[in-house]
Order: sequence, then structure tokens, then C-alpha cells
Amino acid sequence: MPEGVQAIAYQRNIEVLVSKLRRRQIVGSRRAALETLLVLRQVVSKARFSNIEQLVEIIHSAGRRLVEAQPKEFSVGNTVRKVLHHIREEYRTAAKKAPEDTALSISKLVYQGQPRRRGVAPKSEMDVDLKEDDPDDPDSFARSLKPVLMEAIQDVFDELETVYDSISKSAKDHIHSDEIILTIGQSTTVESFLKAAAHYRNFTVIVAETGPSYRGHGMAQSLSEAGISTFLVPDSSIYAIMSRVSKVILGAHAIIANGGMFAVTGSLLAATAAQAHSAPVVVCAGQFKITPLWNLYQDYSALDFSDPSSVLGFEEGNLVDKVDVINPYYDYVRPDLVHAYITNDGDHPPTSIYRLIKETYNDEDIEL
Amino acid sequence: MALTELIEKSSAGTMFELSGVLDKGTQQLTDRIPNSISLNAGCELFNLFVTVATHDLGSLSDFKDKLVRQGNRYIAEAALYSEKIAGFTNGFVKDGSVILTHSYSRVVMKALLHAHKRKRISVYVTEAKPRGLGLKTYETLTAAGIPCTVVLDSTVAYVMDKVDFVLVGSEAVVESGGLINATGSNQIAIIAKHANKPFYALAESFKFRRLFPLSQYDLPTHGPGVLPFPRHIPEAPPAPLINGQPLVDEFKDAMFPVSISTGSWTQKSMSAEQVALNPEVDYTKPDLISLVISDVGILTPEGVSHYLVGMFAG
Repeated sequence: MPEGVQAIAYQRNIEVLVSKLRRRQIVGSRRAALETLLVLRQVVSKARFSNIEQLVEIIHSAGRRLVEAQPKEFSVGNTVRKVLHHIREEYRTAAKKAPEDTALSISKLVYQGQPRRRGVAPKSEMDVDLKEDDPDDPDSFARSLKPVLMEAIQDVFDELETVYDSISKSAKDHIHSDEIILTIGQSTTVESFLKAAAHYRNFTVIVAETGPSYRGHGMAQSLSEAGISTFLVPDSSIYAIMSRVSKVILGAHAIIANGGMFAVTGSLLAATAAQAHSAPVVVCAGQFKITPLWNLYQDYSALDFSDPSSVLGFEEGNLVDKVDVINPYYDYVRPDLVHAYITNDGDHPPTSIYRLIKETYNDEDIEL
Repeated sequence: MALTELIEKSSAGTMFELSGVLDKGTQQLTDRIPNSISLNAGCELFNLFVTVATHDLGSLSDFKDKLVRQGNRYIAEAALYSEKIAGFTNGFVKDGSVILTHSYSRVVMKALLHAHKRKRISVYVTEAKPRGLGLKTYETLTAAGIPCTVVLDSTVAYVMDKVDFVLVGSEAVVESGGLINATGSNQIAIIAKHANKPFYALAESFKFRRLFPLSQYDLPTHGPGVLPFPRHIPEAPPAPLINGQPLVDEFKDAMFPVSISTGSWTQKSMSAEQVALNPEVDYTKPDLISLVISDVGILTPEGVSHYLVGMFAG
């Protein structure tokens, strides 16, 4: 591990973000992803390393700290993985190494079936002389590689910044005129998606209140301000109105490798009701929410729990010690309940999410 | 299974001549071993490798040497695959899981023993008639200290509600993403689907097979010899219907002339000939399988088809 003032400087950055994540001062997957990226940029720019392994190790350890701080904010880990993937790609282009050694073997043949890794377009054609582990000048490697890496990180950053726009781009292909759309909660992605579609189409949105946070209220307000005809309904009537709904559009907290997702509570209710009425369920989410995780702990323990006071406050004092109140924040929605994911990386059925994961992240980085 | 042996043999075959010999060797192996599905998968892979490798062929003897070397190396690597699969599977096992498995499979055993080191698991294993390989699983697991109970093949539906997930091995995984495995896997998968329990298949990548069965009867193992109806029904003496009990017995005796007639009907069992008419493997459709766990990663059934297409066409 590098020592010295610079190292301490970025360690402090990490600590700040860690405690922010712990205290839930950063909520929302995109925000967390952005903050993570900023810290990683600091880390890369300040870190001292003389070969790629050292750099990867530095980022791994930083990533591990962040993920442990808030293991249920999956986008943090995803961002770290994505940055690592980019760094590896850049290094490979810069070092002009053949992507894989070309010697044939049977096991290689088997791997041909694997989804091709997506090459990241190289940032610069410069002919840097990469001297790894140069004993005379240990910084030379870092010096020559850093500008490229910073650009790579900037790319990830730009992608995150524009994620809503790029998802909304396809909005008018998914929403037709006179459709009745049900949504739940307040997902910025869904919000911008619907607003983008409203430029081209006339449709109606039914927003469920989404208790106990009632973020549906804000969503309904924002949509109707944008000139979309909007109805706000209580959660309990989702099933009853589903027969009139032509499409369910949901946001996601995280999409996992088997094609299932974590989404705000009530999503499972809406998705199940939609299945009963054969209404398609479409999920809008940025690619940074795709998490290389199988539904390992899909039950109870995977869900984040929030403050029970919104369900049963202290005003009901004499009840408080008689009942256990749980207020799970997310639902796990099984892959067979979702019909399509709309991401900034194109539209995908739940069954090919695992392929996106193979393409986006390196296998070595899945375990941070 | 018999694959490693096969590659050894077929790579020896290349020493003598080339693909003609290889084909012949494959044919011989296929003929000799009654259950050729997973064997064929290995053959296909090796043949493909030979064809692809021909592109950068130098001199013939060099090439043969190379093939043998590669073959041997693959055998060595393949031995590690089940370890890798066991590692992947471990992630799906929760502490205190109850697992249902079918018959005996080496990968499944490895995975279960691996999981046992870290978590508390208990296992139901089907008896898997007619070979009764489930008992072998039972013995191995019990010896390792895993609580294990053998269930009758006909009791799977009864036990399914107590099970957290189903874990089976495979003879082969086919292009549709479906699974070929010892008979009974299909019915377990159907019951698991009905009970909403995950059904995981473990398969090393050399078991990926380029086949596209649409039904049970498209399997290479299916033939006219599997479950035929008798050409002519043995004449049962037309007994009067008033005599209830004796009629049944007599009728059955006529239908199954070989079964042990001990007088009491309950003790009868199928004769060896009758058993031989039953298929050894069945085909499980991809929509019943939750995930295929293989050494190249955890795949959805659709993923397997992508994979096979990439492998044989790319």
C-alpha cells in the first residue's frame, strides 16, 4: 500500500463517503454511484503505483471499504467494478497486449461460447512507453497511464450524468397513444421516461401512493405539472384497477444477474397484479444498477428496512411495545414477473441480464 | 463421466491416422457404452477442436503431438471443473437449507460436500429406481455427516414442500437449454415448478451437447425398444365380473407372465425385461430449469443456447 501524504488524502475521501453512506446521507443508487465515482477519481489521481496489479489492488481495497459501508446500495460496488473494467481495458490497449494469448486449447474453445467482452474504445492513440516496475523511476508507469485512466473515468461519469436522457430516448417507442400506465413510487428514471414520452404521445398515468413513504404523491404532482393526465390511487386498489391498465412501468433499485430486481415496496404487488391481468411489466433502469449477484439472499434479509415510525408512530404509544413493526423498503421481484428492462444500454429481457454483466464487468472483480 | 477416458482414447486414435480414425473411435466408444449421451458431448467437443486447430497446422506429426498434449491437458483441467462448480453452488445454499437431489452425480456430491463444510444442510435423495443409485448418494452423504433421507421416486411430490431447492447433475445440457438426466429428473422438475421451488442443474461445460430435442422422444436413446406396447395382448380368460377379486389377479397374471406369482399381489415387482423397456434418461424442458451452474459461469437456460451457438458457430 502506498504511504505518504497523498495516500492519506484519498483515504480521508474514502472515509467521508463511507460515513455518509453509513448515515444514509446518500440515498438513491445514482447519487451513490456518482459519489463513488468522484472518490475513485481522487484515488486514481493520487495513488502511487508502479504496475497494474498495484493499482487494481488499491481500487479493490477502496471499493471493499465502500461496499461494506452500505452493502445494500449495490450501485457503489457496480461503479467500482465498472471503473476497474475500464482501467483494465485501457491498460490492455496502452500496453498493446493481445487481449488473450492465442494458443489454442480445448478449454479456450469452450470459452468461445462466452459473451464477447465489450471493448471500451481506447481514449488515445498515444504511443506511451509503459515501463512496469521500473526500479529507477517507480512513478513512470503511473505518470504515463494516469491521463488515459482519468479520461476513462470521465467517460463513466458522463454516462452516469446522461443516464436519464439516454433511457428516455426510446420512450416514444414503448408508450403508445391512449395507453393507461401504472407506476409506483418516485423513480427519477421513470419520471423522465414518462415526461419524454409525453412530448410525442397522449396517455394517462395512474400513480400508486406507495405507502408508507407516499412518494407517489410527489410523482403524481410532478407528472401532472408536465401536462400528463395523472391519477393518484391508494396502493390497496392496484389490483382492482389493473384490468384497465395497459402497461406497468417500474423503477428499480438494483437488477440482479438472474433477471430479478429489487424495487421499492409495492412493486411486487403491482407486478403480481399485472401478471394476473397479463399486463406487461417494463422496468426502466440505468445500466449501473445491474449487479453481478444471483438471488442468493432474495428473502427477507436482502431487503432494506427503514424507519417503522411512518407505519406506527409514537403517538400510538400504548401499542408500540405490543407489536413488532417492520417497514421493508424494497421488494424482490422475480424475473418471471418482468417482461423487459429498458436501460441506457438498450432493451433487454430478464434472461439476458447475466450476459450484460459478463460484458460489463470483469470476472475477477465480482468479488471485491 | 466416461469422457476423460474417451479423450485419452481418441487422442491415441489421432496418433494412428486422422479424423477418419477419430470418427471410428468415437463410434466404437458409443457402441460399447450403453448410455452415450454425455460421451457424445465430449466427442463432439474434441472433434470440433481438431477441426478448428487444423487451421494452423504445421507438420502432421507435430499436430498430432499437439492434439495429444492438449487432450491430456484438458483432462487435467476438466478434473477441476467440478470444484469450481461446487464453489459457485455454495453461493446458492443458505444455512439450514433442505436440498432435494436425484440419483447419484459426482458434481452434485462435490457441491454438497463442499457446502457441508460451511453450512448446515440436509438432503433428501430419491431412490432413483431401477438402479437405486440414490442409495449410493445416501451412503456417501451419511458417511460425511450430512443428515440425509432416501425418498421413494413416487414420494417426490409429498416431500417437495419441505425442500428449499432441487439440485441435480446432468448427462448433458442441450442447445435448447434443457437437461438430459437420469429418468425422474423431469418429473421432479415439474413438481418443483408447481411448488415454485428453484431447480438447479449442475453441468461441466464438456456436457454441453449440440442437440435440440423437442420432446422426450427426440433423444438419441429413444428407440422402438423403449416402452413398446405388447404386439398382441395375452388372452385373459373372460371371467365373469361378479367375481371381483380373482378376476384382477388372474388378469394381471396374464399381463405380466414373468412376475413372481407368490399369491399375494403386493409382493410382485417388475421383471428385469420389463425394467429394460424403460428409458434410462429423460429430457427436462428449459422452462422448468431455474439455472444451469457450470464451470464457465452460472447460466440461465437461454444462456446455454447462446453459449452453444457461440462455441460451435463462432
